[in-house]
Amino acid sequence: MLLPLVLLVPLGFVVTHIAQTGEAGTGPMGLAIVYLLLMLGAHAVLVAAGHRGDPLLLPLVATIGAIGLIMLNRLAPDLEETAAFGLDFTVAETQLLWFAVGVGAMLGVALGFRNDGLLRHYKYTWAIAGALLLVVTFLFGREVNGARLWIYLGPIGFQPGEFLKIVLVVFIAAYLAEKRTLLRDASARIGPIRIPPLPYLLPMLAIFVIVMLVVIFGKDLGTALLFFGIFLTMLFVATGRRSYVLIGLLLFLAGSFVAYRLFDHVARRVDAWIDPFADPSGVGYQTVQSLYAFGRGGLFGEGLGQGLLPTAGGRFFGVETDFIFAVTAEELGLIGAFALLALAVALIFRGLRVAMLARDDFSAMLAVGLTTSLGLQTLIIVAGVLKLIPLTGITFPFVSYGGSSLLASFLVVGLLLSISHRSALAAEREARPT
Amino acid sequence: MIATNIRRLAVYLLLAFAATSGGLSWWQVVDASTLAARQDNPEVIAARRSALRGTIFDANGQVLASSQVIDGISRRTYTDAAFSHIIGYASLRFGTTGVERAWDDLLTGRSDPNPLRDLVNDILARQPPPTDLTLTIDRRLQDYAAAQLGTDVGVVVALDPRSGAILAMTSTPTFDPTPISGDPATAAGPMEQIGAQPNNPLVDRARQGRYTPGSIMKVLTASAALDSGAMTPETTFPDQPREETEGFVVEGFRVLEHDLSPVTPALWPFSPALQVSSNIFFAHVGVELGSERFLDYAKRFGFCEPLVIGPSDRGLSVSPSYVTAVAEDGGCAPFADTAEVAQAAFGQGRVNVTPVQMALLAATVANDGITPAPYVVRDVRAHADDPAAGPSERVLTTYRAEGSRRAIGSGAAAQVRAAMVDAVHGELGRLYAGAGDVTRYGVSGVSTAGKTGTAERGPDLPPHSWYIGFVPAQAGGTPAIAVAVIVEGGGSGSGRAAPIGGAVMAEWLKILAAG
Repeated sequence: MLLPLVLLVPLGFVVTHIAQTGEAGTGPMGLAIVYLLLMLGAHAVLVAAGHRGDPLLLPLVATIGAIGLIMLNRLAPDLEETAAFGLDFTVAETQLLWFAVGVGAMLGVALGFRNDGLLRHYKYTWAIAGALLLVVTFLFGREVNGARLWIYLGPIGFQPGEFLKIVLVVFIAAYLAEKRTLLRDASARIGPIRIPPLPYLLPMLAIFVIVMLVVIFGKDLGTALLFFGIFLTMLFVATGRRSYVLIGLLLFLAGSFVAYRLFDHVARRVDAWIDPFADPSGVGYQTVQSLYAFGRGGLFGEGLGQGLLPTAGGRFFGVETDFIFAVTAEELGLIGAFALLALAVALIFRGLRVAMLARDDFSAMLAVGLTTSLGLQTLIIVAGVLKLIPLTGITFPFVSYGGSSLLASFLVVGLLLSISHRSALAAEREARPT
Repeated sequence: MIATNIRRLAVYLLLAFAATSGGLSWWQVVDASTLAARQDNPEVIAARRSALRGTIFDANGQVLASSQVIDGISRRTYTDAAFSHIIGYASLRFGTTGVERAWDDLLTGRSDPNPLRDLVNDILARQPPPTDLTLTIDRRLQDYAAAQLGTDVGVVVALDPRSGAILAMTSTPTFDPTPISGDPATAAGPMEQIGAQPNNPLVDRARQGRYTPGSIMKVLTASAALDSGAMTPETTFPDQPREETEGFVVEGFRVLEHDLSPVTPALWPFSPALQVSSNIFFAHVGVELGSERFLDYAKRFGFCEPLVIGPSDRGLSVSPSYVTAVAEDGGCAPFADTAEVAQAAFGQGRVNVTPVQMALLAATVANDGITPAPYVVRDVRAHADDPAAGPSERVLTTYRAEGSRRAIGSGAAAQVRAAMVDAVHGELGRLYAGAGDVTRYGVSGVSTAGKTGTAERGPDLPPHSWYIGFVPAQAGGTPAIAVAVIVEGGGSGSGRAAPIGGAVMAEWLKILAAG
């Protein structure tokens, strides 16, 4: 399954090099080779260790990541380099470094996690740790582009929100798996309206409050939307009640409306969403430029390295993070953008398949939550740059530049691999006559 | 149970991705051409800088605007300042205006008039060649009209009343767009100089200028009244002769007559009332018509909303004309009272019009009651490598009027037309609009239909001088040209605008006769 990748990455690098320099050449082929060796190596390690997890997850992730790396390599000349350990790294090189860290973490989780008790039984500990992380971010976080997302430990910065996402999923999965059997049919009524029973209502409200705190203090709309979306999705899967999701959405809309009226940074985002062309050089600038990029791309794209968004915007920022999908669509066209979305959908379906095959409620809920976190995150950023929903700063998993995001996404895949490995083993044990 | 819910979740997520893909397709394919035409699109800016731009020709293939790429920068040269407003400019520094703006994608070759070839170009990432435009305007008439205006501030708009093709459209004072369209580094100085001149030469008065029309508005009032049956050609108002001296009191507002001398007031029906341009008579007509019908007919003629010099998808916009105050939505507010209707009926009060709208009013009467849809670009052609040798034979797209609509019945149109002929040739009318008669400018055997206007602006300002008309206007004749002329602060309509209108129409008949 990894074989097409062997062609894809070097080809992308060669095309970029030719487009950018006008000369035949290979570009930084070392990067491509390291990336391929990394993914093939990870695959080999899993096979050698007799891992029985879903065999498609890694190839899908590797392909999506490859498109991201090709785009970052293409963007490298247009962006500042990062300096570390006395060396200069391009964004593609830095990203590759994080790919290595991420793949290592993924293998560690996939192979090392034999028992989920650590996650399941200490759910409140996890929740408290997560809450502390959030508070620390609010108190000591550094504001970048209007959102307080970053914590710096010495020179190394990371985004706690990315990891908080996993903690949140673990907690909700454990909580719902435990309460589910007790509460399947319980419900309370106020007059004619059936409301969720308290054990659902309380965490719903608690998470709603956390989400609103993220919006108000963290100024981070994307993360807030993602958290609440994950929670509602998991609640739906646990209970099968669409009404809960509806109530939750209404709650979220009401909260958003209040935030729109009260907070400037929210109002700016929403105004820019409703009519970016009203102020194309002010609040609407990013959205308008991104839409232009989509329009230029058309069906077949301008070609790798031929897009204008990275340079022509002048003061346009975020081509390597929030807007990497716009750059991809401009250069690879509707066809390339569809391919990327199709890969994301395939990854999500594999993740949900892992959940279906899981042997217990907790594993299933965990797999659903983890998969949803990847799926919703992709949807939120893609729909955002397409002006279908207000634009929020959030990364495209495995594609956007960013160490925290990449590491967290690989942890998610590691967990999915581990869950599917255990259910495969359990299925084999049952099949074997004893 | 969880498995079922997961299956449902999968479906919902798939739907969400499908919706997102729909949005993606919308921006990348469906709406892409709209995005590509926007001025602040970096693609537009980059393409314009170095790309050869198509040539713009007049109706006879004379070069009006052409480009050369010198040192990698596209420079544009304009040959005739009488066209500066309608063609506009294509400046790397100040953007584009006029036809240059509306046809920008075709002139730069960013898109192809043929959608199929557009797709092929997109697939092959091929830059299509620029295309050339031919205007409906004949340079000879345009220059003649501009010369007639001379140093006065004003507008001449002329069109073919049947086809809607603009024959001349010039606004003074004008400017030279060449220096601001050249090297962006040196474009700022000339632009500042233009801006520092009096009467803002950059404004296209034909499309953006809004003026009180005065008596030319009576053509609209009469059209509405005759078509709706509020008046016949024989209708008279018994109190009118007395009121010519005493004034006609409407809801406490006294309508006063302009200086009629040497004519003695009498009981006038429609034709003589139009010839002497009786305010009292038309105030009565307005009251008979009533506020709702008046507003309704004004809208039928195109008032109360922006007009477009077509085609509609890439047209040149014309500011809306108003008969009442401007409503919050940009349309016409209802009439405040009957006194306002009475004033609007003779073109004062809150009536505010563009010269293009008034030319369309004349053209509607000329065209049996149908308002033609105006257009100014005749066709799109393949780029001619040597513009001086004339346009290419290969025509890619031809435009014609789209969306002409009937404003009044042909019966009412014929009655108004007859009275407008009397207004130029009649015993009484000659004294006012006789200067608009084409036979005074070297053309014979043709009747002229016309109406002058003297738009009062207040005690200390000279009135605007207006004239609208068309020829040939004799019964059975097919009108070939309709005009609207305004000279700002030019005094009476008969003194300044009518001679210009008559001369311009005569010149066109001579050009047509010469073939």
